Amino acid sequence: MSPEQTPHSRQFQFTGNAKEWFGVWIVNLLLSIVTIGIYSAWAKVRTKKYFYGNTHVDGRNFDYHATGGQILKGRLIVIAAIVVFQIVVTLMPILGIILLIALVIFYPWLLTRAMMFNARVSSFSNVRFNFVGTYGQAFKVFFIYPILCLLTLYTTFPILDRAMKRFSIDNHRLGTAAFEMNAKISAFYKAAGLALLWIVAVFAIAALTMGFSITALGEASLAMENDPGAAIAVIGAFYLVFFLGFIPAGVIYQAFTRNVIYNGTTLEGGHRLRSNVSAPQLFWIAVSNLVVVVCTLGLMLPWAQIRITRYLANHTGVELGSSVDDFIGVQQDATSALGDAYADIEGIDVGLPI
Amino acid sequence: MSDPFSLTGFVYLQGSSRRTDARLDCAQHDGVAWVCIIATDGAELARSPLSEVQIDAALGRTARKLSFADGTVFETSDHDGFAQLDGNSHGARLHRLERFGPHLIGFTIACLAGAYLLWRYGLDILAALAVAMTPAVVVEQIDRGTLQTIDYVMAEPSRLNEAEKDRARMIYERVIAVLPDEERNARDFTLLFRDMPSVGPNAFALPGGTMVMTDDLIRSFANENVLAGILGHEIGHVVEEHGLRRLYRSLGAYILVALLAGETGPLMEDLLLEGNALLALSYGRKQETSADEFGLTLSHRAGYDPAGLKQFFEALSNMMGEEIQWMSSHPSHENRIKAIDTFIDGLPPR
Repeated sequence: MSPEQTPHSRQFQFTGNAKEWFGVWIVNLLLSIVTIGIYSAWAKVRTKKYFYGNTHVDGRNFDYHATGGQILKGRLIVIAAIVVFQIVVTLMPILGIILLIALVIFYPWLLTRAMMFNARVSSFSNVRFNFVGTYGQAFKVFFIYPILCLLTLYTTFPILDRAMKRFSIDNHRLGTAAFEMNAKISAFYKAAGLALLWIVAVFAIAALTMGFSITALGEASLAMENDPGAAIAVIGAFYLVFFLGFIPAGVIYQAFTRNVIYNGTTLEGGHRLRSNVSAPQLFWIAVSNLVVVVCTLGLMLPWAQIRITRYLANHTGVELGSSVDDFIGVQQDATSALGDAYADIEGIDVGLPI
Repeated sequence: MSDPFSLTGFVYLQGSSRRTDARLDCAQHDGVAWVCIIATDGAELARSPLSEVQIDAALGRTARKLSFADGTVFETSDHDGFAQLDGNSHGARLHRLERFGPHLIGFTIACLAGAYLLWRYGLDILAALAVAMTPAVVVEQIDRGTLQTIDYVMAEPSRLNEAEKDRARMIYERVIAVLPDEERNARDFTLLFRDMPSVGPNAFALPGGTMVMTDDLIRSFANENVLAGILGHEIGHVVEEHGLRRLYRSLGAYILVALLAGETGPLMEDLLLEGNALLALSYGRKQETSADEFGLTLSHRAGYDPAGLKQFFEALSNMMGEEIQWMSSHPSHENRIKAIDTFIDGLPPR
């Protein structure tokens, strides 16, 4: 199932293994707990280094160069800001609203910085990545498009999603070489349509088989006082339908758009990225990973992470248009880890999509 | 490293992705360890004392890297050979800890125990420290700000007449009089009245000592023992600093989960946050019970019948019915009434 092979095509290879990663992970976790979270900055570096260092293309690996000290400094500043922000919101709600507006204006800048930091501390074959997105572009992608998306009742979500992916990919550089994404909007709509179809099908089947409806939920909440057991059963069924409907729909959308995005992305020098993940396989891995991780109180998480990373690597490739030896690095200024720390704490993923 | 030795690997020149086969020669000269990169044609590409070369810490079986000051990088997968070079430095101890083996079972147990201790005691200690560090001005400002918001959003000026207010004030004075002096003087205790039809018969306290009773509360309960019990309960929240502790605790838990999330994965992060929200509710219920006990003791000492608080919950229970306990920030009325009975039995005679 690897991407189509030609003399110039290379598959991504992931050489990490669950046993080895478990050791690194558990030590990371232990030291982070013992130090009340301080070590988590170094843990992040080791995690990134492990996954990057074990990902190869044409025998060359990726690498991550940030230091724990850099990450910690960024995190301390962001945490201090969050605490002050929280206190101000409690003390003077009016000033809190002004601060909130300030954060909204600041947000695209923080995310751009986060992407820049991440790119500049990542390398492939000894050449650093870079990110050249501007505040104006970020403002458009993170504010104008989402507002349009809301105004059109989410019917333009694929346009928003493509704009975000394009913002990320088109602004990345490997040394001097630029990435470029060309994907038809119809493909995004097709992915969204399939996901929507799945949701509709699940709800239709649920409605037919269980007589499930919103009114049942309403009655259940009324009946809660008299018969909590029945109410919990109905709520449970509702969650089940929700998870069977929405989570797989998300996976379907992601699988299809990932293929479209990768297959439409080129890197200067004539290199074309390739991806052929399958939605059912991705769904199976995501669900079985979740079940195993929950049943083992999280102890199998390293195994789950290795499994999904290996699957993605095995279904990602690149068709080389010239020699991998020809990338040239650029001298870059150091960036602070402020945006990166903010993205970490808010749980926003800004890393390279490898 | 006494004898000279060589490692085979690759070399990258500064700022280039070009990779060529190369050899790293390591030798001692006048007691100083030197390394030098030799190309396959024998040309020397870089030379430096080992101490001036940056060595990345070992991590799993990922390739080892040496970066020279001029940007030349030597990379090798010869891990045993590399060990001769950097010996026990550069995170070798950490690397040994991470190796798969029986000791990881101990680490796993330590992680689970550590996470439990951190949640059970660590967060409380951090919250208590943060409360102690919060200046009194800030706490007073919290009262002012919160009251402003409440007045703006859901409260109207009280419609009670002076006689009704005086009755409540008298009970309040009597209850607060039995509070130890240092507790009473540490805060600015004030009693306020508001008309809040949306919250029913209720009272609440702010961390600085401001207490608000709703008109409904005073009109619904003629019995002084009931009002004394409720005021005692609210004073308990203030004296035991429940509001601030809860604020800091939830903030601390949020940040910790966010920091550890990289190690737990996104789905586990959601589970942790949900679990944390449920646990925060359980923490809130413990605070309510603790405030109940404080209020009972206080109203008892002030000469009121502590059973008044019980009557209040019985009345509430008849008015509103029960909710599911684990989803609530307060214990169920039934449980509270039972707990109050038990506690009253244990109170010393006046």
